[in-house]
Amino acid sequence: MSVQPKVGNTKDVVIEVGKRPVREVHQDILAAANAGKSIVVTNTLSRHNLGVGLPPGCKVRFEGSVGYYCGGLNTGAVIEIERNAGWGCGEAMSDGHITIGGYAGMSVGAAMLGGTIHVKGDSGPRAGVAMKGGNIVVEGKIGYQSGFMAHGGKIIALGGAGTSCADALWEGEVWVTGDIDDLGVDAVVTEPTAEQVAEVDAILDPLGLKDTSRDWRRIVAGQRLWYFESRDARAWLMI
Amino acid sequence: MCGIAGRILNAPGAVGRDLVELMDAQAHRGADSTGFAIYGEPRDSGYIVRAMGFDRNNLSKDLEDFRAILKDQGGDFIDEPTWDNGSSAHYSVRMTVTDPKDVERWTEAADKICERLEMQSVGRSLEIIKDTGGAYEVADKHGVRDMIGTHGLGHARLATESDVRPNASHPFWARPFPDVAIVHNGQITDYYSWRNRLEHKGYRFLTYNDSELIAVWVSDRMKEGLSMEQALSRSIDEIDGVFTFMISRPDKIGFAKDRFAMKPLVVINENGEIAAATEEQSVRRVYEDEGVSIINYDGPSLQGIWGVGNRRAAA
Repeated sequence: MSVQPKVGNTKDVVIEVGKRPVREVHQDILAAANAGKSIVVTNTLSRHNLGVGLPPGCKVRFEGSVGYYCGGLNTGAVIEIERNAGWGCGEAMSDGHITIGGYAGMSVGAAMLGGTIHVKGDSGPRAGVAMKGGNIVVEGKIGYQSGFMAHGGKIIALGGAGTSCADALWEGEVWVTGDIDDLGVDAVVTEPTAEQVAEVDAILDPLGLKDTSRDWRRIVAGQRLWYFESRDARAWLMI
Repeated sequence: MCGIAGRILNAPGAVGRDLVELMDAQAHRGADSTGFAIYGEPRDSGYIVRAMGFDRNNLSKDLEDFRAILKDQGGDFIDEPTWDNGSSAHYSVRMTVTDPKDVERWTEAADKICERLEMQSVGRSLEIIKDTGGAYEVADKHGVRDMIGTHGLGHARLATESDVRPNASHPFWARPFPDVAIVHNGQITDYYSWRNRLEHKGYRFLTYNDSELIAVWVSDRMKEGLSMEQALSRSIDEIDGVFTFMISRPDKIGFAKDRFAMKPLVVINENGEIAAATEEQSVRRVYEDEGVSIINYDGPSLQGIWGVGNRRAAA
């Protein structure tokens, strides 16, 4: 089993947030990253916009909770959040790895293009909304309408799913073990093939979460809503 | 995008100071105006009135006319009114008045001069203070940090569908119900149809702000016999739009969230004391210790009520 990316060691640069301007904190993070240092950010106080747009090679651990958009626009950084993340964590990231130790607020991984987000607790509503690629792994339960309009990528929930799961899905996939409160419009549960399960296990394995005994439900689009080019008026009355 | 906050203390304390901090941390959510609803020690009789006048040069005349209406309705001033000494054309005035014969009728009568002097709250303990500007600015002008009480609400407003005026700021008083206030983050899309229905029942609205409507909507349901819990539940089913609101009464604060889970609410409930806000960084102003856990009410169709314990200082 390969090891999940970890950041933080005795040679870390420690950067304090407190009430400092986030722009200043960000400049400190980039300077330390350019010097090849691992970074520990302390006293985060749930401030917004921490660690946005971090480049590849950057390794940051946020001690405590962060506010909105942490790790957004990530292009390859490895980010660890000790506790909770606010709304839009990892939004529009294209590569890299984000670990959230606690709860992830609404729209974690919104519109993400690539990389992996690993949530150890539950996630709020609309995890992976409009995502186009990458993976979101949630050890707990995914909230209301998770996977809403996901164009690609995978959301993998190990602790069940809330209401309106995978509503209006496009080509994304939502994988769930545990209870699903109810399915969204046009969401269809399928039995995954052994090959598809192996793909998901390959995502979970590096996170130490692989378990071959799981009973998976793979949710995809029923394609009833894929009528945007239709000239038949009846198609528009299907909802 | 507005910012809202609620605070409950276990005993009368610096609720004004806490609300100012809760709102300053959310100043970026609404730069237009800031407001506070604070419940101090309740009076056994008589009301505290907070009102806003729109021309400081007419202050004496406004108060004279207000008093004449009050006397006509069977009440009078208890203490001499006090007002802010700011330089703005509008001014805020605080009055204590003896009980008029009928609060509803008196409110209606007093509202005849609302274009000059508008009542913003009436209550045994509720006081609503609101003005344009940020939390610290409003707090400095109106002495909010020094206000002692058990609970209250705060609001930072980003105006979307009605005017930026000091009196269009939140919180809103649920006219004419004494001691009821609301703060709201969201948009009510069937505002005009509900307003119509409520106006037919005799309610009056002084702004075109949808939050004023919700305050009256919930209070009206409670007047009809529903509990607050039932009224909040109905509001989620019947009011169309995206919203998170908190409504306060002398003994409780309730909240409701729409069916679409579009507006945040974060709560710390520590030993019966409550700090609630739109953003986590706001409640962290009051509880910096990360060991104090946070509840994220992120899901759809949520509601809840927090009770207020000891409202009077120990004898």
